[in-house]
Amino acid sequence: MVFFSQKIRPSYGQKLSILATIPLVLAVAAIAALVTLQSTQLAEKEIKSLEETLINAKKAELRNYVKQATLGFYYIYGRADPDDEEAKKQVMQILSAMIYGTDGFFFVYDYDGTNLVSPRQTEMINKNWSGLADSRGTPVVDELIRIARSGAGYHTYLWPKPSTGEEAQMISYVNGFQNWRWALGTGVFVDDVMATVAAARLEVETRVKLTFFYIGGITLAALLLVFLTGMVINIRERRLADAKLKQLTQRILDTQEEERSRVARELHDSISQILVGVRFSLELAGRRLNNGDKKGMENLTKGIDTINGAIQEVRRISRDLRPGMLDDLGLGPALKALLDEFSRRTGIQTDIKTVVFRNRLDQDSKIALYRIAQEALTNIERHSEATRVSLSLSGHKKGATLQIIDNGKGFSQNPNQKDSTSFEGLGLRNMMERIEQLDGTIQISSSGAGTTIEAIVPLSHLLPPENKTTEAIEYDLQK
Amino acid sequence: MTSKSDLTNETHARSIRVVIVDDHPMVRDGLRSILETYPDLNLVGSLVNGQEAIDQVANLQPDVMLLDLNMPGVNGLSAAEIILERYPEVRILILSMHDSPEYVSTALSHGAKGYILKDVPTEEVYTAIITVMTGQNYLCTRARAALSPAKDTDREPLTSREQTILLQLAQGKSNKNVAEHLEISVRTVETHRKNIKRKLGISSTAGLTRYALEHGVLQGTGGGL
Repeated sequence: MVFFSQKIRPSYGQKLSILATIPLVLAVAAIAALVTLQSTQLAEKEIKSLEETLINAKKAELRNYVKQATLGFYYIYGRADPDDEEAKKQVMQILSAMIYGTDGFFFVYDYDGTNLVSPRQTEMINKNWSGLADSRGTPVVDELIRIARSGAGYHTYLWPKPSTGEEAQMISYVNGFQNWRWALGTGVFVDDVMATVAAARLEVETRVKLTFFYIGGITLAALLLVFLTGMVINIRERRLADAKLKQLTQRILDTQEEERSRVARELHDSISQILVGVRFSLELAGRRLNNGDKKGMENLTKGIDTINGAIQEVRRISRDLRPGMLDDLGLGPALKALLDEFSRRTGIQTDIKTVVFRNRLDQDSKIALYRIAQEALTNIERHSEATRVSLSLSGHKKGATLQIIDNGKGFSQNPNQKDSTSFEGLGLRNMMERIEQLDGTIQISSSGAGTTIEAIVPLSHLLPPENKTTEAIEYDLQK
Repeated sequence: MTSKSDLTNETHARSIRVVIVDDHPMVRDGLRSILETYPDLNLVGSLVNGQEAIDQVANLQPDVMLLDLNMPGVNGLSAAEIILERYPEVRILILSMHDSPEYVSTALSHGAKGYILKDVPTEEVYTAIITVMTGQNYLCTRARAALSPAKDTDREPLTSREQTILLQLAQGKSNKNVAEHLEISVRTVETHRKNIKRKLGISSTAGLTRYALEHGVLQGTGGGL
């Protein structure tokens, strides 16, 4: 369970990506929904109004046809009696002749439901169609007659197309001629209107869908961009960190290798040569003494003297590797010895002020401060042209401070700007790294009049006063 | 003083009781075999570290103790100081690999009567033993050379014992408390105290506390190290 929860726990980078993408996805989804809703509503409204306009145009057309037709026979109807069969026949002939378009015609039903005029579907004539309804159950003839009785009006229903025989929606305008109890009308198929509307609706839907796809595409692209950017940054950072680590490792290895080869060289060049010499002396002494030659004694003495040389060499090498004084006597005496040595080697005047306390610093800070002083002295010797160096070590309420002041020519103010591979740059960086390890601070100020380096180790690196037995004291001293 | 009266009762009237303290067996045994060839030296013991030296000194009653500086546990300097607190008549002769002046002066400030390097001829070791027996100090040639340009402008540093006692006094302990704690006499504590005040140039106990505080040695208590 724990393992699982750990396994799915996202990393910091993943969390950041999620944080960036979730709001984006949510916002885009909301926008898409809103756009869809609004555009659909708007389109629906447009389509409705389009449909209405088209239908109204058709209706006006129908009314106009009926009016025209009426004008065409009114001179007969106006004068005739209700029973004037001759006049009726005349009018029916006129109307039968009035066909227009592919499907346009006029129809007449008497109020009983009998068809009198139907030029395109002549089989309907003289039959009674009262009660006729379309496939959806809408009454057709009865409704037309009802409208005619009350004057004039429109009726919508399904009707087989004369040209194809297929049922289609039709709007009719019917006018009542009350004298003859006639319902006269004409109809028009509106399937073209319906097709137009459907096409419009389809187009809107297509457009909405397309918009949806566009938004989705843009979102996907944005997400991809976020992820890619994140990944690129991630990879770049990691590569940088890797490079730094590699550099550091290389530096450590280089230093180690350099040190090893130096020690190996020293051992080979000095100690082993001396010891070989001693062996020859002793061998010679043995041979001579064996033969009773008194000169053997001389060789023996010479051998012993040479061994002393070896002892001194070892002492020097071991002191160079690690100043034992740092451990035995503490930082103050070790710095004093370092400075004496420096003064003797370079001829630069030195003075030192240390504390009366000894071995109050922990191991790490002792080494760090000692190496910083060493580094500083190396820099002074190589680059500063100084004639005087002052070193002071002091304890205070905030910790311990090491200060190294020289009167040399100084170096460029910002050590970071210096080529970090140069010896001086590297040395300064080493100092900083050492003091950073201890949570301490280092200040390096340099001008034409000299350089001051001040390293401070915090109080936490000062050993607590021991009030225990000798063993504890000695432990501290050993440190 | 007891050792002296014992000496007179010995078969060899001039026999000097010598103890060697060194953690390296080669040095310890080599030195012992060579010194045993001198008839007036009585090698009464060879010990391996400072703690053993402190523990055995009452038992072995040496006139001269050859003490190595670097030893695990209690090192030579601290051992010398503690031994001398109880048996001031023991002559401590430091035997060391180090020829830096700091080592020599520190050894002397801790009460050593002599300082010789390990690579001196055996004859010189013998000379050193005889010299310190007469009450004089002995430094081997190189130690003397190291010490001679005494341009030490600095204050004289405190010995490890003095440092311990200063911290205890600064924490408010009385002479008697300190004496009990370190298992030494009140008079010894007073002597140390006088030396501390002299070295630091301070006259009062309050001054000692303030000094310790200002130099960051007391606050270290909270350091948790």
